[in-house]
Amino acid sequence: MTGRAQEGTRAVVVTGAGGVGKTTISAALAVAAARAGRRTLVLTVDPARRLTTALGIEMSNEPEPHPDAPNLWGAMLDATASWHEVVRRHADPEVAERLIDNQFFDAATSHFPASQSFAAAEEAATYLDARAWDLVVVDTPPAAGGIEFFTAPASMSDLVGGRVLRWLTGARLPGRRFLFNRTAKPMLRLADQVLGSNLLEQIAEFFMDLRTTYDGVSKRARQIERHMRRATTLVVTTSDPGPMAETLRFFRALPEVASPPAAVVFNRTLPESWIDAEVPADTPAALATNLERWAEESRMQRAARRELGERHGVPIVTVPWRQHPPTDLEALADLADVEGLRRIWEES
Amino acid sequence: MLDAGGLGSHLGEPDLRFEPQAVGEGLMAASIDRAEALLEYLRVQVGIPALATIGPAARAFDALASTAPAIREVVTMGKILWEVRRDIWDTVVVDAAPTGQIGSYLRAARTIRELLATGRILEQVEWMEEILTDPAVTRLVLVTLLEELPAVETAETVTWVEGEALVGDITVVANRSLPRLEARVPKGDGPVTEAAALHHALWEEQQEWLETVAADATLPYLFGTHTPTEVAERLADWFEDDLR
Repeated sequence: MTGRAQEGTRAVVVTGAGGVGKTTISAALAVAAARAGRRTLVLTVDPARRLTTALGIEMSNEPEPHPDAPNLWGAMLDATASWHEVVRRHADPEVAERLIDNQFFDAATSHFPASQSFAAAEEAATYLDARAWDLVVVDTPPAAGGIEFFTAPASMSDLVGGRVLRWLTGARLPGRRFLFNRTAKPMLRLADQVLGSNLLEQIAEFFMDLRTTYDGVSKRARQIERHMRRATTLVVTTSDPGPMAETLRFFRALPEVASPPAAVVFNRTLPESWIDAEVPADTPAALATNLERWAEESRMQRAARRELGERHGVPIVTVPWRQHPPTDLEALADLADVEGLRRIWEES
Repeated sequence: MLDAGGLGSHLGEPDLRFEPQAVGEGLMAASIDRAEALLEYLRVQVGIPALATIGPAARAFDALASTAPAIREVVTMGKILWEVRRDIWDTVVVDAAPTGQIGSYLRAARTIRELLATGRILEQVEWMEEILTDPAVTRLVLVTLLEELPAVETAETVTWVEGEALVGDITVVANRSLPRLEARVPKGDGPVTEAAALHHALWEEQQEWLETVAADATLPYLFGTHTPTEVAERLADWFEDDLR
Protein backbone atom coordinates (compact mmCIF):
# COMPACT_ATOMS: atom_id res chain seq x y z
CA MET A 1 0.00 0.00 0.00
CA THR A 2 2.74 2.43 0.95
CA GLY A 3 4.43 1.94 -2.38
CA ARG A 4 1.22 2.73 -4.18
CA ALA A 5 0.47 5.79 -2.12
CA GLN A 6 3.86 7.20 -3.08
CA GLU A 7 3.03 6.68 -6.72
CA GLY A 8 -0.11 8.73 -6.21
CA THR A 9 -3.71 7.88 -6.96
CA ARG A 10 -4.28 5.39 -9.75
CA ALA A 11 -7.25 5.57 -12.07
CA VAL A 12 -9.33 2.95 -13.84
CA VAL A 13 -11.45 4.43 -16.62
CA VAL A 14 -14.41 2.23 -17.48
CA THR A 15 -15.79 2.98 -20.90
CA GLY A 16 -18.22 1.45 -23.41
CA ALA A 17 -21.64 1.81 -25.01
CA GLY A 18 -24.80 2.68 -23.08
CA GLY A 19 -26.80 -0.07 -21.41
CA VAL A 20 -24.05 -2.69 -21.17
CA GLY A 21 -23.65 -2.52 -17.39
CA LYS A 22 -20.69 -0.15 -17.29
CA THR A 23 -21.80 1.53 -14.08
CA THR A 24 -22.38 -1.83 -12.40
CA ILE A 25 -18.92 -3.08 -13.42
CA SER A 26 -17.38 0.19 -12.17
CA ALA A 27 -19.12 -0.18 -8.81
CA ALA A 28 -18.10 -3.84 -8.59
CA LEU A 29 -14.43 -3.00 -9.22
CA ALA A 30 -14.53 -0.26 -6.59
CA VAL A 31 -16.14 -2.50 -3.97
CA ALA A 32 -13.62 -5.27 -4.61
CA ALA A 33 -10.67 -2.85 -4.42
CA ALA A 34 -11.97 -1.28 -1.21
CA ARG A 35 -12.37 -4.72 0.33
CA ALA A 36 -8.79 -5.46 -0.60
CA GLY A 37 -7.79 -2.49 1.55
CA ARG A 38 -7.37 0.21 -1.09
CA ARG A 39 -8.93 3.60 -0.44
CA THR A 40 -11.26 3.71 -3.44
CA LEU A 41 -13.58 6.29 -4.96
CA VAL A 42 -16.08 5.39 -7.67
CA LEU A 43 -17.28 8.28 -9.83
CA THR A 44 -20.51 7.32 -11.57
CA VAL A 45 -22.51 9.08 -14.25
CA ASP A 46 -26.12 8.01 -13.98
CA PRO A 47 -26.51 5.09 -11.60
CA ALA A 48 -29.78 3.16 -11.51
CA ARG A 49 -31.61 3.41 -8.21
CA ARG A 50 -31.12 -0.28 -7.55
CA LEU A 51 -27.40 -0.03 -8.07
CA THR A 52 -27.18 2.96 -5.71
CA THR A 53 -29.13 0.91 -3.18
CA ALA A 54 -26.81 -2.06 -3.70
CA LEU A 55 -23.80 0.20 -3.26
CA GLY A 56 -25.31 1.74 -0.13
CA ILE A 57 -23.96 5.27 -0.70
CA GLU A 58 -26.08 8.41 -0.81
CA MET A 59 -24.66 9.71 -4.11
CA SER A 60 -24.03 13.41 -4.63
CA ASN A 61 -21.61 15.62 -6.54
CA GLU A 62 -19.16 15.38 -3.60
CA PRO A 63 -17.48 12.09 -2.65
CA GLU A 64 -19.44 10.42 0.15
CA PRO A 65 -17.95 7.64 2.26
CA HIS A 66 -19.87 4.39 2.63
CA PRO A 67 -21.47 4.38 6.09
CA ASP A 68 -20.21 0.90 6.95
CA ALA A 69 -17.78 -0.34 4.34
CA PRO A 70 -14.29 1.02 5.00
CA ASN A 71 -12.19 2.49 2.16
CA LEU A 72 -15.18 3.02 -0.14
CA TRP A 73 -16.38 6.38 -1.43
CA GLY A 74 -18.87 7.21 -4.14
CA ALA A 75 -19.70 10.36 -6.12
CA MET A 76 -22.11 11.07 -8.94
CA LEU A 77 -21.34 13.35 -11.86
CA ASP A 78 -23.28 16.58 -11.86
CA ALA A 79 -22.31 18.17 -15.15
CA THR A 80 -23.86 21.55 -14.35
CA ALA A 81 -22.05 21.83 -11.01
CA SER A 82 -18.81 20.75 -12.66
CA TRP A 83 -19.19 23.44 -15.28
CA HIS A 84 -19.76 26.08 -12.64
CA GLU A 85 -16.48 25.01 -11.05
CA VAL A 86 -14.66 25.06 -14.38
CA VAL A 87 -15.81 28.60 -15.06
CA ARG A 88 -15.08 29.83 -11.54
CA ARG A 89 -11.59 28.38 -11.78
CA HIS A 90 -10.71 29.78 -15.18
CA ALA A 91 -12.50 33.12 -15.49
CA ASP A 92 -12.24 36.37 -13.50
CA PRO A 93 -14.69 36.25 -10.59
CA GLU A 94 -16.91 38.91 -12.14
CA VAL A 95 -16.95 37.24 -15.55
CA ALA A 96 -17.54 33.82 -13.96
CA GLU A 97 -20.67 34.99 -12.17
CA ARG A 98 -21.91 36.75 -15.29
CA LEU A 99 -21.40 33.55 -17.28
CA ILE A 100 -23.18 31.37 -14.74
CA ASP A 101 -26.08 33.82 -14.54
CA ASN A 102 -26.35 34.00 -18.32
CA GLN A 103 -29.59 32.38 -19.45
CA PHE A 104 -27.65 30.41 -22.06
CA PHE A 105 -25.08 28.96 -19.72
CA ASP A 106 -26.88 25.77 -18.75
CA ALA A 107 -28.28 25.21 -22.21
CA ALA A 108 -24.87 25.77 -23.74
CA THR A 109 -22.91 23.61 -21.35
CA SER A 110 -25.35 20.77 -21.71
CA HIS A 111 -25.39 21.17 -25.50
CA PHE A 112 -21.76 21.57 -26.43
CA PRO A 113 -20.59 18.40 -28.04
CA ALA A 114 -18.63 16.41 -25.45
CA SER A 115 -19.83 18.67 -22.66
CA GLN A 116 -20.84 15.87 -20.29
CA SER A 117 -17.70 13.93 -21.12
CA PHE A 118 -15.56 16.98 -20.41
CA ALA A 119 -17.30 17.51 -17.07
CA ALA A 120 -16.68 13.85 -16.19
CA ALA A 121 -13.01 14.03 -17.18
CA GLU A 122 -12.53 17.29 -15.31
CA GLU A 123 -14.15 15.91 -12.17
CA ALA A 124 -12.12 12.69 -12.33
CA ALA A 125 -8.91 14.72 -12.69
CA THR A 126 -9.85 16.84 -9.67
CA TYR A 127 -10.21 13.72 -7.52
CA LEU A 128 -6.94 12.31 -8.85
CA ASP A 129 -5.17 15.55 -7.98
CA ALA A 130 -6.63 15.43 -4.46
CA ARG A 131 -4.46 12.38 -3.69
CA ALA A 132 -6.96 11.28 -1.07
CA TRP A 133 -7.50 7.84 -2.62
CA ASP A 134 -5.37 4.94 -3.79
CA LEU A 135 -7.75 4.23 -6.65
CA VAL A 136 -10.40 6.22 -8.50
CA VAL A 137 -12.75 4.20 -10.69
CA VAL A 138 -14.31 6.40 -13.36
CA ASP A 139 -17.56 5.39 -15.04
CA THR A 140 -17.78 7.41 -18.28
CA PRO A 141 -20.75 8.94 -20.13
CA PRO A 142 -21.87 6.56 -22.88
CA ALA A 143 -21.13 8.87 -25.80
CA ALA A 144 -19.61 7.79 -29.10
CA GLY A 145 -18.64 4.37 -27.78
CA GLY A 146 -16.61 5.95 -24.97
CA ILE A 147 -14.18 7.73 -27.29
CA GLU A 148 -15.60 11.11 -26.41
CA PHE A 149 -14.40 10.94 -22.80
CA PHE A 150 -10.83 10.89 -24.08
CA THR A 151 -11.21 13.51 -26.77
CA ALA A 152 -13.41 15.86 -24.72
CA PRO A 153 -10.60 17.96 -23.16
CA ALA A 154 -9.13 18.76 -26.57
CA SER A 155 -12.56 19.44 -28.11
CA MET A 156 -13.40 21.73 -25.26
CA SER A 157 -10.30 23.89 -25.56
CA ASP A 158 -10.84 23.92 -29.34
CA LEU A 159 -14.36 25.14 -28.76
CA VAL A 160 -13.48 27.83 -26.25
CA GLY A 161 -10.58 29.19 -28.27
CA GLY A 162 -11.34 27.73 -31.63
CA ARG A 163 -11.84 29.09 -35.08
CA VAL A 164 -15.58 29.42 -34.89
CA LEU A 165 -15.51 31.48 -31.76
CA ARG A 166 -12.68 33.66 -33.08
CA TRP A 167 -14.59 34.12 -36.29
CA LEU A 168 -17.62 35.24 -34.35
CA THR A 169 -15.94 37.46 -31.83
CA GLY A 170 -12.96 38.83 -33.74
CA ALA A 171 -9.25 37.93 -33.69
CA ARG A 172 -8.44 39.61 -30.40
CA LEU A 173 -10.48 39.67 -27.28
CA PRO A 174 -12.72 42.65 -27.81
CA GLY A 175 -14.08 45.05 -25.24
CA ARG A 176 -17.36 44.22 -23.55
CA ARG A 177 -19.60 46.28 -25.74
CA PHE A 178 -17.94 45.35 -28.98
CA LEU A 179 -20.22 43.05 -30.82
CA PHE A 180 -19.15 41.18 -33.86
CA ASN A 181 -19.42 43.05 -37.06
CA ARG A 182 -22.73 42.01 -38.48
CA THR A 183 -22.52 44.00 -41.67
CA ALA A 184 -19.26 42.26 -42.61
CA LYS A 185 -20.71 38.81 -42.11
CA PRO A 186 -23.74 37.94 -44.20
CA MET A 187 -24.36 34.81 -42.17
CA LEU A 188 -24.74 36.87 -39.02
CA ARG A 189 -27.09 39.29 -40.75
CA LEU A 190 -29.08 36.26 -41.68
CA ALA A 191 -29.00 34.80 -38.20
CA ASP A 192 -30.19 38.15 -36.99
CA GLN A 193 -33.19 38.03 -39.28
CA VAL A 194 -34.06 34.50 -38.30
CA LEU A 195 -33.50 34.68 -34.58
CA GLY A 196 -34.07 38.32 -33.80
CA SER A 197 -31.21 40.64 -32.89
CA ASN A 198 -31.74 40.65 -29.17
CA LEU A 199 -31.02 36.96 -28.89
CA LEU A 200 -27.98 37.20 -31.08
CA GLU A 201 -26.47 39.98 -28.97
CA GLN A 202 -26.95 38.00 -25.80
CA ILE A 203 -25.32 34.96 -27.32
CA ALA A 204 -22.42 37.02 -28.58
CA GLU A 205 -21.80 38.46 -25.12
CA PHE A 206 -21.89 34.98 -23.70
CA PHE A 207 -19.31 33.76 -26.18
CA MET A 208 -16.98 36.64 -25.48
CA ASP A 209 -17.07 35.93 -21.79
CA LEU A 210 -16.47 32.28 -22.47
CA ARG A 211 -13.42 33.09 -24.55
CA THR A 212 -11.68 34.60 -21.55
CA THR A 213 -11.45 31.12 -20.04
CA TYR A 214 -9.39 29.83 -22.96
CA ASP A 215 -5.93 29.85 -21.34
CA GLY A 216 -7.19 28.14 -18.21
CA VAL A 217 -9.29 25.58 -20.03
CA SER A 218 -6.57 24.59 -22.50
CA LYS A 219 -4.00 24.21 -19.71
CA ARG A 220 -6.44 22.12 -17.74
CA ALA A 221 -7.18 20.00 -20.81
CA ARG A 222 -3.50 19.09 -21.04
CA GLN A 223 -3.42 18.15 -17.34
CA ILE A 224 -6.48 15.96 -17.78
CA GLU A 225 -4.91 14.24 -20.77
CA ARG A 226 -1.81 13.43 -18.73
CA HIS A 227 -4.05 11.71 -16.18
CA MET A 228 -5.78 9.78 -18.94
CA ARG A 229 -2.54 8.49 -20.37
CA ARG A 230 -1.62 7.04 -16.98
CA ALA A 231 -5.03 5.49 -16.34
CA THR A 232 -5.95 1.88 -16.90
CA THR A 233 -8.68 1.72 -19.53
CA LEU A 234 -11.35 -0.97 -19.48
CA VAL A 235 -13.93 -1.34 -22.22
CA VAL A 236 -17.22 -2.91 -21.17
CA THR A 237 -19.51 -4.38 -23.82
CA THR A 238 -22.03 -7.08 -24.48
CA SER A 239 -21.87 -9.19 -27.61
CA ASP A 240 -25.06 -7.62 -28.99
CA PRO A 241 -24.60 -5.97 -32.40
CA GLY A 242 -25.06 -2.38 -31.19
CA PRO A 243 -22.50 -2.42 -28.35
CA MET A 244 -20.13 -4.52 -30.49
CA ALA A 245 -20.22 -1.93 -33.27
CA GLU A 246 -19.35 0.77 -30.74
CA THR A 247 -16.56 -1.31 -29.22
CA LEU A 248 -15.01 -1.91 -32.64
CA ARG A 249 -15.35 1.80 -33.32
CA PHE A 250 -13.51 2.55 -30.08
CA PHE A 251 -10.57 0.43 -31.19
CA ARG A 252 -10.54 1.97 -34.64
CA ALA A 253 -10.54 5.48 -33.27
CA LEU A 254 -8.47 4.76 -30.18
CA PRO A 255 -7.26 8.23 -29.44
CA GLU A 256 -3.65 8.93 -28.65
CA VAL A 257 -4.57 10.10 -25.18
CA ALA A 258 -5.94 6.74 -24.07
CA SER A 259 -3.70 3.94 -23.01
CA PRO A 260 -4.53 0.74 -24.94
CA PRO A 261 -7.38 -0.99 -23.06
CA ALA A 262 -6.15 -3.42 -20.41
CA ALA A 263 -9.10 -5.64 -21.27
CA VAL A 264 -12.49 -5.79 -22.89
CA VAL A 265 -15.11 -6.96 -20.41
CA PHE A 266 -17.97 -8.92 -21.96
CA ASN A 267 -20.82 -8.47 -19.53
CA ARG A 268 -23.81 -10.84 -19.47
CA THR A 269 -21.85 -13.78 -20.82
CA LEU A 270 -23.58 -17.14 -21.17
CA PRO A 271 -21.74 -20.41 -20.46
CA GLU A 272 -19.98 -21.91 -23.48
CA SER A 273 -20.97 -25.31 -22.07
CA TRP A 274 -24.50 -24.63 -23.35
CA ILE A 275 -23.31 -24.74 -26.96
CA ASP A 276 -23.86 -28.23 -28.39
CA ALA A 277 -24.81 -29.53 -24.92
CA GLU A 278 -26.35 -33.00 -24.79
CA VAL A 279 -30.04 -32.78 -24.01
CA PRO A 280 -31.34 -35.81 -22.03
CA ALA A 281 -33.97 -37.74 -23.98
CA ASP A 282 -36.71 -37.22 -21.40
CA THR A 283 -36.38 -33.42 -21.44
CA PRO A 284 -39.75 -31.68 -21.99
CA ALA A 285 -39.91 -29.97 -25.38
CA ALA A 286 -40.29 -26.46 -23.91
CA LEU A 287 -37.07 -26.84 -21.92
CA ALA A 288 -35.16 -28.32 -24.85
CA THR A 289 -36.25 -25.45 -27.09
CA ASN A 290 -35.29 -22.99 -24.38
CA LEU A 291 -31.77 -24.37 -24.14
CA GLU A 292 -31.50 -24.41 -27.92
CA ARG A 293 -32.33 -20.69 -28.07
CA TRP A 294 -29.90 -19.71 -25.35
CA ALA A 295 -27.22 -21.93 -26.84
CA GLU A 296 -27.65 -20.04 -30.11
CA GLU A 297 -27.20 -16.82 -28.15
CA SER A 298 -24.12 -18.25 -26.45
CA ARG A 299 -22.66 -19.23 -29.81
CA MET A 300 -23.19 -15.69 -31.10
CA GLN A 301 -21.47 -14.34 -27.98
CA ARG A 302 -18.48 -16.61 -28.46
CA ALA A 303 -18.13 -15.56 -32.08
CA ALA A 304 -18.19 -11.88 -31.06
CA ARG A 305 -15.49 -12.42 -28.41
CA ARG A 306 -13.31 -14.34 -30.82
CA GLU A 307 -13.68 -11.73 -33.51
CA LEU A 308 -12.62 -8.95 -31.17
CA GLY A 309 -9.74 -10.93 -29.65
CA GLU A 310 -8.40 -11.91 -33.06
CA ARG A 311 -8.78 -8.50 -34.58
CA HIS A 312 -7.30 -6.43 -31.76
CA GLY A 313 -5.33 -8.90 -29.64
CA VAL A 314 -6.84 -7.48 -26.48
CA PRO A 315 -7.36 -9.58 -23.32
CA ILE A 316 -11.01 -10.65 -23.02
CA VAL A 317 -12.72 -10.87 -19.64
CA THR A 318 -16.12 -12.49 -19.27
CA VAL A 319 -18.61 -11.58 -16.55
CA PRO A 320 -21.38 -14.20 -16.31
CA TRP A 321 -25.01 -13.25 -16.96
CA ARG A 322 -26.57 -13.35 -13.51
CA GLN A 323 -30.17 -14.24 -12.83
CA HIS A 324 -30.59 -11.09 -10.74
CA PRO A 325 -28.86 -7.70 -10.74
CA PRO A 326 -26.59 -7.25 -7.68
CA THR A 327 -28.51 -6.07 -4.61
CA ASP A 328 -25.71 -5.61 -2.07
CA LEU A 329 -21.96 -5.08 -1.66
CA GLU A 330 -21.40 -8.83 -1.47
CA ALA A 331 -22.99 -9.40 -4.87
CA LEU A 332 -21.06 -6.47 -6.36
CA ALA A 333 -17.72 -7.73 -5.05
CA ASP A 334 -18.63 -11.15 -6.37
CA LEU A 335 -19.18 -9.70 -9.85
CA ALA A 336 -15.61 -8.37 -9.92
CA ASP A 337 -14.17 -11.61 -8.59
CA VAL A 338 -13.55 -13.11 -12.01
CA GLU A 339 -10.41 -14.04 -13.87
CA GLY A 340 -8.97 -10.97 -15.53
CA LEU A 341 -10.84 -8.40 -13.44
CA ARG A 342 -9.03 -9.32 -10.23
CA ARG A 343 -5.80 -8.08 -11.78
CA ILE A 344 -7.45 -4.75 -12.52
CA TRP A 345 -8.61 -3.92 -9.00
CA GLU A 346 -5.61 -5.46 -7.28
CA GLU A 347 -2.88 -3.92 -9.38
CA SER A 348 -4.14 -0.92 -11.31
CA MET B 1 -31.93 11.59 -37.12
CA LEU B 2 -28.81 11.16 -34.96
CA ASP B 3 -27.53 7.75 -36.01
CA ALA B 4 -27.82 7.55 -39.77
CA GLY B 5 -25.28 4.71 -39.89
CA GLY B 6 -27.32 2.64 -37.46
CA LEU B 7 -30.55 3.12 -39.39
CA GLY B 8 -28.81 2.62 -42.72
CA SER B 9 -27.30 -0.71 -41.73
CA HIS B 10 -30.77 -2.01 -40.79
CA LEU B 11 -32.01 -0.99 -44.23
CA GLY B 12 -29.01 -2.42 -46.05
CA GLU B 13 -27.94 1.05 -47.20
CA PRO B 14 -25.14 2.22 -44.89
CA ASP B 15 -24.66 5.61 -46.53
CA LEU B 16 -27.93 7.43 -46.16
CA ARG B 17 -27.92 10.96 -47.48
CA PHE B 18 -29.96 14.10 -46.93
CA GLU B 19 -31.77 13.52 -50.23
CA PRO B 20 -34.28 10.66 -49.84
CA GLN B 21 -33.28 7.52 -51.73
CA ALA B 22 -35.19 4.31 -52.43
CA VAL B 23 -34.18 1.45 -50.14
CA GLY B 24 -37.06 -0.91 -50.88
CA GLU B 25 -40.46 -1.08 -52.53
CA GLY B 26 -42.40 1.98 -51.47
CA LEU B 27 -39.70 2.83 -48.96
CA MET B 28 -37.46 5.88 -49.10
CA ALA B 29 -34.85 6.76 -46.52
CA ALA B 30 -32.82 9.86 -45.71
CA SER B 31 -30.61 11.13 -42.93
CA ILE B 32 -30.88 14.58 -41.40
CA ASP B 33 -27.80 16.71 -41.71
CA ARG B 34 -28.29 19.79 -39.59
CA ALA B 35 -26.30 22.13 -41.83
CA GLU B 36 -28.24 21.01 -44.89
CA ALA B 37 -31.52 21.14 -43.02
CA LEU B 38 -30.75 24.71 -42.02
CA LEU B 39 -29.96 25.75 -45.59
CA GLU B 40 -33.11 24.09 -46.82
CA TYR B 41 -35.06 25.87 -44.12
CA LEU B 42 -33.60 29.24 -45.07
CA ARG B 43 -34.32 28.59 -48.73
CA VAL B 44 -37.79 27.12 -48.45
CA GLN B 45 -39.26 28.73 -45.35
CA VAL B 46 -37.50 32.07 -45.10
CA GLY B 47 -37.06 32.53 -48.82
CA ILE B 48 -33.33 33.21 -48.86
CA PRO B 49 -31.57 31.88 -51.97
CA ALA B 50 -28.83 29.28 -51.67
CA LEU B 51 -25.71 30.55 -49.95
CA ALA B 52 -22.51 30.38 -51.94
CA THR B 53 -20.32 28.98 -49.18
CA ILE B 54 -21.90 26.95 -46.51
CA GLY B 55 -18.81 25.73 -44.64
CA PRO B 56 -17.82 28.51 -42.22
CA ALA B 57 -21.30 30.01 -42.18
CA ALA B 58 -22.92 26.74 -41.22
CA ARG B 59 -20.29 26.10 -38.56
CA ALA B 60 -20.78 29.54 -37.10
CA PHE B 61 -24.50 29.11 -37.08
CA ASP B 62 -24.04 25.75 -35.44
CA ALA B 63 -21.99 27.36 -32.68
CA LEU B 64 -24.72 29.93 -32.15
CA ALA B 65 -27.41 27.32 -32.34
CA SER B 66 -25.63 25.13 -29.79
CA THR B 67 -25.79 27.95 -27.30
CA ALA B 68 -29.36 29.09 -27.46
CA PRO B 69 -31.79 26.51 -26.20
CA ALA B 70 -33.98 24.86 -28.83
CA ILE B 71 -32.51 26.48 -31.97
CA ARG B 72 -30.61 23.37 -32.95
CA GLU B 73 -33.53 21.10 -32.19
CA VAL B 74 -36.02 23.28 -34.01
CA VAL B 75 -33.95 23.07 -37.19
CA THR B 76 -34.02 19.28 -37.03
CA MET B 77 -37.68 19.12 -36.07
CA GLY B 78 -38.49 21.69 -38.74
CA LYS B 79 -37.05 19.41 -41.41
CA ILE B 80 -38.99 16.40 -40.12
CA LEU B 81 -42.28 18.23 -39.82
CA TRP B 82 -41.77 19.90 -43.19
CA GLU B 83 -41.64 16.43 -44.75
CA VAL B 84 -45.01 15.79 -43.09
CA ARG B 85 -46.45 19.12 -44.16
CA ARG B 86 -45.40 18.70 -47.79
CA ASP B 87 -47.92 15.88 -48.00
CA ILE B 88 -45.96 13.74 -50.45
CA TRP B 89 -45.57 10.74 -48.12
CA ASP B 90 -48.20 8.44 -46.63
CA THR B 91 -46.11 7.91 -43.50
CA VAL B 92 -42.98 9.56 -42.17
CA VAL B 93 -41.12 7.41 -39.64
CA VAL B 94 -38.42 9.19 -37.66
CA ASP B 95 -35.64 7.32 -35.91
CA ALA B 96 -35.50 10.04 -33.27
CA ALA B 97 -33.21 10.96 -30.39
CA PRO B 98 -32.83 8.62 -27.39
CA THR B 99 -35.67 8.80 -24.87
CA GLY B 100 -33.55 10.84 -22.47
CA GLN B 101 -33.11 13.60 -25.07
CA ILE B 102 -36.42 13.51 -26.89
CA GLY B 103 -38.02 16.11 -24.64
CA SER B 104 -35.85 18.95 -25.90
CA TYR B 105 -36.79 18.10 -29.50
CA LEU B 106 -40.50 17.80 -28.85
CA ARG B 107 -40.52 21.00 -26.84
CA ALA B 108 -38.24 22.96 -29.19
CA ALA B 109 -41.01 24.82 -31.01
CA ARG B 110 -42.65 25.88 -27.76
CA THR B 111 -39.34 26.96 -26.23
CA ILE B 112 -38.67 29.14 -29.26
CA ARG B 113 -42.08 30.74 -28.91
CA GLU B 114 -41.34 31.54 -25.28
CA LEU B 115 -37.81 32.77 -25.94
CA LEU B 116 -38.07 34.97 -29.00
CA ALA B 117 -39.90 38.23 -29.32
CA THR B 118 -39.03 38.74 -32.97
CA GLY B 119 -37.37 36.81 -35.74
CA ARG B 120 -38.57 34.87 -38.74
CA ILE B 121 -38.28 31.53 -36.98
CA LEU B 122 -41.28 32.48 -34.83
CA GLU B 123 -43.51 32.24 -37.89
CA GLN B 124 -42.56 28.60 -38.34
CA VAL B 125 -43.11 27.21 -34.89
CA GLU B 126 -46.86 27.59 -34.94
CA TRP B 127 -47.50 25.07 -37.71
CA MET B 128 -44.86 22.80 -36.22
CA GLU B 129 -46.71 22.63 -32.92
CA GLU B 130 -49.99 22.05 -34.76
CA ILE B 131 -48.63 19.00 -36.57
CA LEU B 132 -47.00 17.59 -33.44
CA THR B 133 -50.03 17.87 -31.22
CA ASP B 134 -52.61 16.57 -33.71
CA PRO B 135 -53.40 12.96 -32.66
CA ALA B 136 -54.65 12.22 -36.19
CA VAL B 137 -51.19 13.06 -37.55
CA THR B 138 -48.47 12.44 -34.99
CA ARG B 139 -47.73 9.53 -32.73
CA LEU B 140 -44.71 9.28 -30.45
CA VAL B 141 -43.41 5.72 -30.15
CA LEU B 142 -41.16 5.18 -27.16
CA VAL B 143 -39.13 1.99 -27.47
CA THR B 144 -37.72 0.61 -24.26
CA LEU B 145 -35.84 -2.36 -22.91
CA LEU B 146 -37.35 -4.10 -19.92
CA GLU B 147 -34.53 -3.09 -17.59
CA GLU B 148 -34.45 -0.56 -14.78
CA LEU B 149 -32.80 2.50 -16.36
CA PRO B 150 -34.62 2.52 -19.71
CA ALA B 151 -37.94 1.52 -18.15
CA VAL B 152 -37.86 4.25 -15.50
CA GLU B 153 -36.74 6.82 -18.09
CA THR B 154 -39.55 5.78 -20.43
CA ALA B 155 -42.22 5.98 -17.72
CA GLU B 156 -40.97 9.43 -16.68
CA THR B 157 -40.91 10.62 -20.29
CA VAL B 158 -44.51 9.50 -20.86
CA THR B 159 -45.65 11.41 -17.78
CA TRP B 160 -43.74 14.51 -18.80
CA VAL B 161 -44.78 14.53 -22.47
CA GLU B 162 -48.42 13.98 -21.50
CA GLY B 163 -48.22 16.70 -18.86
CA GLU B 164 -46.83 19.19 -21.36
CA ALA B 165 -49.27 17.99 -24.05
CA LEU B 166 -46.46 17.93 -26.61
CA VAL B 167 -47.63 15.21 -29.02
CA GLY B 168 -50.91 13.85 -30.27
CA ASP B 169 -50.51 10.31 -29.05
CA ILE B 170 -47.97 8.05 -27.32
CA THR B 171 -47.30 4.33 -27.79
CA VAL B 172 -44.82 2.44 -25.63
CA VAL B 173 -43.11 -0.58 -27.19
CA ALA B 174 -41.08 -2.99 -25.08
CA ASN B 175 -38.27 -4.44 -27.15
CA ARG B 176 -36.43 -7.71 -26.57
CA SER B 177 -39.23 -9.13 -24.56
CA LEU B 178 -38.73 -12.78 -23.56
CA PRO B 179 -41.46 -15.35 -24.14
CA ARG B 180 -42.84 -17.03 -21.05
CA LEU B 181 -41.22 -20.40 -20.42
CA GLU B 182 -44.07 -22.89 -20.31
CA ALA B 183 -42.29 -25.32 -18.01
CA ARG B 184 -40.98 -25.42 -14.45
CA VAL B 185 -37.27 -25.13 -13.80
CA PRO B 186 -36.20 -28.76 -13.41
CA LYS B 187 -34.23 -29.96 -10.40
CA GLY B 188 -30.56 -30.84 -10.64
CA ASP B 189 -27.92 -29.08 -12.68
CA GLY B 190 -26.64 -29.01 -16.22
CA PRO B 191 -27.35 -26.72 -19.18
CA VAL B 192 -31.10 -27.48 -19.41
CA THR B 193 -31.67 -26.43 -15.79
CA GLU B 194 -29.29 -23.47 -15.94
CA ALA B 195 -30.86 -22.07 -19.10
CA ALA B 196 -34.37 -22.54 -17.68
CA ALA B 197 -33.45 -20.84 -14.39
CA LEU B 198 -31.84 -17.87 -16.17
CA HIS B 199 -34.75 -17.51 -18.58
CA HIS B 200 -37.30 -17.67 -15.80
CA ALA B 201 -35.49 -15.09 -13.62
CA LEU B 202 -35.02 -12.68 -16.54
CA TRP B 203 -38.65 -13.13 -17.59
CA GLU B 204 -39.86 -12.30 -14.09
CA GLU B 205 -37.65 -9.22 -13.95
CA GLN B 206 -39.03 -8.13 -17.34
CA GLN B 207 -42.63 -8.48 -16.13
CA GLU B 208 -41.93 -5.97 -13.38
CA TRP B 209 -40.61 -3.37 -15.83
CA LEU B 210 -43.39 -4.17 -18.29
CA GLU B 211 -45.80 -3.02 -15.62
CA THR B 212 -43.72 0.11 -14.94
CA VAL B 213 -43.83 1.22 -18.57
CA ALA B 214 -47.38 0.02 -19.26
CA ALA B 215 -46.30 -1.12 -22.73
CA ASP B 216 -48.85 -1.07 -25.54
CA ALA B 217 -46.89 -3.65 -27.53
CA THR B 218 -43.90 -5.94 -27.16
CA LEU B 219 -41.27 -7.02 -29.66
CA PRO B 220 -39.62 -10.41 -29.22
CA TYR B 221 -36.08 -11.10 -28.07
CA LEU B 222 -34.22 -12.38 -31.15
CA PHE B 223 -31.93 -15.15 -29.99
CA GLY B 224 -28.55 -15.40 -31.64
CA THR B 225 -29.25 -12.77 -34.28
CA HIS B 226 -26.22 -11.29 -35.97
CA THR B 227 -26.55 -8.49 -38.48
CA PRO B 228 -28.68 -5.34 -38.34
CA THR B 229 -30.34 -6.30 -41.64
CA GLU B 230 -31.33 -9.67 -40.17
CA VAL B 231 -32.77 -7.95 -37.10
CA ALA B 232 -34.84 -5.59 -39.25
CA GLU B 233 -36.11 -8.41 -41.47
CA ARG B 234 -37.06 -10.68 -38.59
CA LEU B 235 -38.90 -7.89 -36.80
CA ALA B 236 -40.68 -6.93 -40.03
CA ASP B 237 -41.80 -10.56 -40.45
CA TRP B 238 -43.01 -10.51 -36.89
CA PHE B 239 -45.00 -7.32 -37.52
CA GLU B 240 -46.57 -8.90 -40.59
CA ASP B 241 -47.58 -12.03 -38.67
CA ASP B 242 -48.87 -9.92 -35.86
CA LEU B 243 -50.98 -7.75 -38.12
CA ARG B 244 -52.47 -10.70 -39.97
